[in-house]
Amino acid sequence: MDRIQPAIGPHDAAEELLPWYATGQLDATERAQVESHLYSCAACREQLTAERRLIGEFQTTSPQVESGWARLKARIDPPRPVQSFKFPIFADLWGILSRPAVATLAAAQLALIVVGGGALYSLTRPDYHVLGAAPVPASANAIVMFAPNAREADVQGALNAASASIVGGPTVAGAYLVHLDPAKRNAGLGKLQGDQAVQLAQPIDGTAP
Amino acid sequence: MNRSGIIRRPRTEAAKSPASDERELLARVVAGDLRAFERLYRLYQPRLSRFLTTLLRRPQLIEEVLDDTMMVVWQSADRFRGSSKLSTWIFAIAYRKAHKARLKWPDPIEEPEQDTRLSEDPAPDDELHHQKLHDSLMRAMDQLSADHRAVVELTYFHGLGYREIAEIVDCPVDTVKTRMFHARRRLKQAIGGRLSDWF
Repeated sequence: MDRIQPAIGPHDAAEELLPWYATGQLDATERAQVESHLYSCAACREQLTAERRLIGEFQTTSPQVESGWARLKARIDPPRPVQSFKFPIFADLWGILSRPAVATLAAAQLALIVVGGGALYSLTRPDYHVLGAAPVPASANAIVMFAPNAREADVQGALNAASASIVGGPTVAGAYLVHLDPAKRNAGLGKLQGDQAVQLAQPIDGTAP
Repeated sequence: MNRSGIIRRPRTEAAKSPASDERELLARVVAGDLRAFERLYRLYQPRLSRFLTTLLRRPQLIEEVLDDTMMVVWQSADRFRGSSKLSTWIFAIAYRKAHKARLKWPDPIEEPEQDTRLSEDPAPDDELHHQKLHDSLMRAMDQLSADHRAVVELTYFHGLGYREIAEIVDCPVDTVKTRMFHARRRLKQAIGGRLSDWF
């Protein structure tokens, strides 16, 4: 079907070129050749009309561009969340915090602090005391959550090592409010945070550790 | 149409844009200008999509090959030497990509060939009759080989000359003429040879 035809006559040569004559893609010599033949060949004139109609039929609506461009652009430049930070270090920090795993952990900690803070507020707010009531317990300055597999002895050992005592809890999240000796607060927090029995130990007195 | 009845090149988006503008766009693409590349993409996406739709039977392949083609343009724009038209270069990339895709994912098995000829009975509604004629023509296109479809599509829809088509599909110009000749014969058969229906 694709073999090159041997020498062909003027009619076949002109008929072969008709599609490109109709689309204006022939050079001057070829165009003159076709026009000369068209003058004397009714069949080719009829065929030329059909060629024009075919061209019209092939001019159909193009597919949508938008979805295709969005797809390709994503391949070139994957979208990133746009954040504007004055200092690059905050941008880096945001990058770390916005990772899914870190974000989940941060959200869990935030929820814990909110719940713990609520419990702390309810536990430390002034209650109505009658005369002769027991003194108000020492106020909590840290919140601790113990590991699920921690035994009582482990918990006791961690608290003793940090010179801490439980003053409230457990909260609904399973956290305890503890009091650390203010003079040794930072050291006590460090010991709690380094203890395997402790899952979380955070100050809640508004002072940086 | 001019005095001799020649229909000028089909009005596509790329045809509206002078070749020099496209060259300028490509120069900016070489420099990594993504906005220039987007403009080039928007100029060529409809034409390439249509061309690849003619060549490939699988819709997901059409998108993939189109994207791969434009990624080559994006990544290798500096390889265009200007010895041919930019459109020829881009279509040749698309044709080669489509050819490779067809080798990897052959066309799905078609239903047995149907009789695509139109009934001799006149249709009561002209619009309906024209629609049937069009459908019949498109079915006849489907039954041509991919190489024949490519030549027909590049001629009738994209308005390219046979020399440029030969460059794109990488074959002698006489082969392009022969393919077109046989394809037209099949299309004429599909519409029942009733050319008067088209006037």
